Amino acid sequence: MSVRLLKKLTAALAVSVTALTATVASAEEYPTRPVTIIVPYGAGGTTDISARKLAAMAEPLLGQPVVVENRPGGSGTNAMRSVSAAKPDGYTLIATTSSPLFVTPALRPVGYDPVKDFVPVLNYSGPFHGVLVKADSPYQNIDELIGAAKSGSALTYGTAGAMGGAHLAFTSVSRETGAQLQHVPFDGAAAATAAVLGGHVNISLVPAYRDLVQDGQLRLLAVLDGTRDPDFPDVPTLKDAGYDVEFPSVVGVVAPAGTDPAIVSKLEQVFTQVATSAEYKEFMAKLNQPVRIMTGEELGETIARNLEVYRALAKEMGQAK
Amino acid sequence: MLVDAFFALLDIWVLVAAVSGIVAGIVIGAIPGLGPTMAIALLIPVTFSMDPIPAITLLLGVYQGAIFGGSISAILLNVPGTPSSAATAIDGYAMARAGQGGKALRIALFASVFGNIFSCLVLMMLAQPLASMALNFGPAEMATLMLFALTVIILFGGGAKLDAAIMVLVGICAGIIGLDPIEGTPRFTFDNFSLENGLQLIPVLVGLFAMSEVFLQLFNRPKVSAGTQEVPELLPSKVGLIEMWRMKTSLFLSSVIGTFIGILPGIGSTVPAFMSYSLARSRSREPSSFGKGAPEGVAAPEAANNAVTGGALIPTLALGIPGDAVTAVILGAFMLQGLAPGPFLFRDYGVEVYAIFEALLLSSIPCIIFGLLLFRVAVHVIRIQPRHLFPAITILALLGAFSVNNSMVDVWVMLGAGVVGFLLRRSGFPLPPLLIGLILGKSLEQSLRQALLTSGGSLEIFTASPIAAGFLVIIALCLIAAVVFHLKARNPSEKSATGDV
Repeated sequence: MSVRLLKKLTAALAVSVTALTATVASAEEYPTRPVTIIVPYGAGGTTDISARKLAAMAEPLLGQPVVVENRPGGSGTNAMRSVSAAKPDGYTLIATTSSPLFVTPALRPVGYDPVKDFVPVLNYSGPFHGVLVKADSPYQNIDELIGAAKSGSALTYGTAGAMGGAHLAFTSVSRETGAQLQHVPFDGAAAATAAVLGGHVNISLVPAYRDLVQDGQLRLLAVLDGTRDPDFPDVPTLKDAGYDVEFPSVVGVVAPAGTDPAIVSKLEQVFTQVATSAEYKEFMAKLNQPVRIMTGEELGETIARNLEVYRALAKEMGQAK
Repeated sequence: MLVDAFFALLDIWVLVAAVSGIVAGIVIGAIPGLGPTMAIALLIPVTFSMDPIPAITLLLGVYQGAIFGGSISAILLNVPGTPSSAATAIDGYAMARAGQGGKALRIALFASVFGNIFSCLVLMMLAQPLASMALNFGPAEMATLMLFALTVIILFGGGAKLDAAIMVLVGICAGIIGLDPIEGTPRFTFDNFSLENGLQLIPVLVGLFAMSEVFLQLFNRPKVSAGTQEVPELLPSKVGLIEMWRMKTSLFLSSVIGTFIGILPGIGSTVPAFMSYSLARSRSREPSSFGKGAPEGVAAPEAANNAVTGGALIPTLALGIPGDAVTAVILGAFMLQGLAPGPFLFRDYGVEVYAIFEALLLSSIPCIIFGLLLFRVAVHVIRIQPRHLFPAITILALLGAFSVNNSMVDVWVMLGAGVVGFLLRRSGFPLPPLLIGLILGKSLEQSLRQALLTSGGSLEIFTASPIAAGFLVIIALCLIAAVVFHLKARNPSEKSATGDV
């Protein structure tokens, strides 16, 4: 008997849920149930922690729980693929980064199109990547470094992994200038930082360098981003230094394509309010992560532009399929 | 500073955090598939609003507890709760089948505590110099070190050396699946996105050790009825201080290995556990007792895998460079508490950091108390009929494999590894070398290729670095020693030379 009751209940529940989802189309009522933000990396990393804080602070503004769910694997592409296939109702979002947005998709089939399958909501962070050498290295600035690689022996540079944004950016520098720069990929940025500290590579292109630079163990020659790192305002970007490359590091929220524009703009407004708040900035400062706001539109342009650049670069390098 | 730090500990919340961290860690570690990384990641949001010292004490307690907890299921069920306790299972389970489960657990507990205290003291006293030493280990040094680890495990791990070598190679080959570590091109993924990360360690581990055990039992049905299988008597499980004292050299050497390898990035705690096991076996007067329930075979890997915790924290805290997933998560936790790891941590937050270390040392006390209490219940698991136990293990194995990435592919990998493990065990091949081959294969390939990239393809890089050259010499000596021993053992009894190659 209880089984029959259970069945009835389940059926009733199923009907009401379908009814609910059908009526929820209107944006004024949004959200009427919990919103899920997928994080394409494991729990406990900086992307995860910063997204959790963003979600927690957005809850009172949205009036509904905002749940963060980790779906790691495939350098973030697994989660992107599943969100691209999710219902575009504003209840499934993803807090994602440069790599699955415009680096990996430029290199190999990933099962989604970062431009067509998503609507960008906003960008709220993105760690600066630097060009770092050991403090006792002879190179005082980026021009000396490139000059040496042009005339002398090849210099080695470590990055967080094969075919990442930093690798592609420096490949482009090397092509543009004829400098002999040999890439050595490591398993993550931490290992690449250790390698330059230990003198196993000449250069490393990594984020999270602040304390090691301030301690005088590493020297920051340039940043790969389009804008200067506020912690080191005197250090030029590669563009400032006259090299026409940039690796913009983004951490932003995107929704599946087809999400009601009114919902997207509501989310953009709420998340922007959270990310610009003093509390959030203070939290991110503790994590050694910058707060970098871009509107959804700007984020969309950044993704589309860089996807093109990286596709072209990958094709030249013979990696594109 | 140490005294100030001690006063900072006189807070009831630190005690609560230490005890709950250790207990939660032990329980989570004992469940196959749930490791310290997941436990800590899940608890980080809980610590958001806590004070720094109790928050970090809680998380590090979970870390230590989980590494030890893995050995409980390894000893009682032959199912390692964490990869690092796979070595403990060899002799621990043999002891448990002989009714000495309680004793094995106690030895594991005391050895773990020893390893923890040892590495924690090293961390407190030598963090800065050792962190700089770790930086000397570049690709060339790492490659030779890994080669050395593989040599030790093949030569001294017990069993036929040829079998072990074959298994290591199988493991290395399995590690080829996934993205090429240098070029980033997919290898043997058959256009399946889920295989791009390669075979995940936890599903493979759970499959090889836990599922294969289930399959073995399934096909080993007792000929008569399944009525009463031999349930081992529970023997008295006291472990005297004298018995632990007799293992002091093993405990010490294992802790040194664990701490040292912990400091180096990316190797983890499974490899030092097996290296210590092999070393203890080769040093033992009766190496033949290993694999059949030798107490030192439990103590050595447990001391080593727990000692890794302190070692792994050294580069994480002193340089802000985490060596693996667990320490990366711990790094995040430190940052959230405003204690940014890196060159300034000890200078700016000395009191907090030393208070945390002292809390870690002192949490050995609750660890022993709760460990012993838990054992009273846990040892009875061994008396449960296998046919009642194995369905539960199967469910845990399925859940554990799925929970790593929430991916069904991992479940299939786990089941596949279970079948492979079953076939290999049936045919008498040892599984640990396979696991080590899988863990080290990709890193070895990566280091080797990184070294050759930095040297422009010249092999000189392996002899130019004193550390790398040193490891190569030690490898050569190990090989020579193995050959000499083999010939020596063979000569006197030429007639009855059995094929223990």
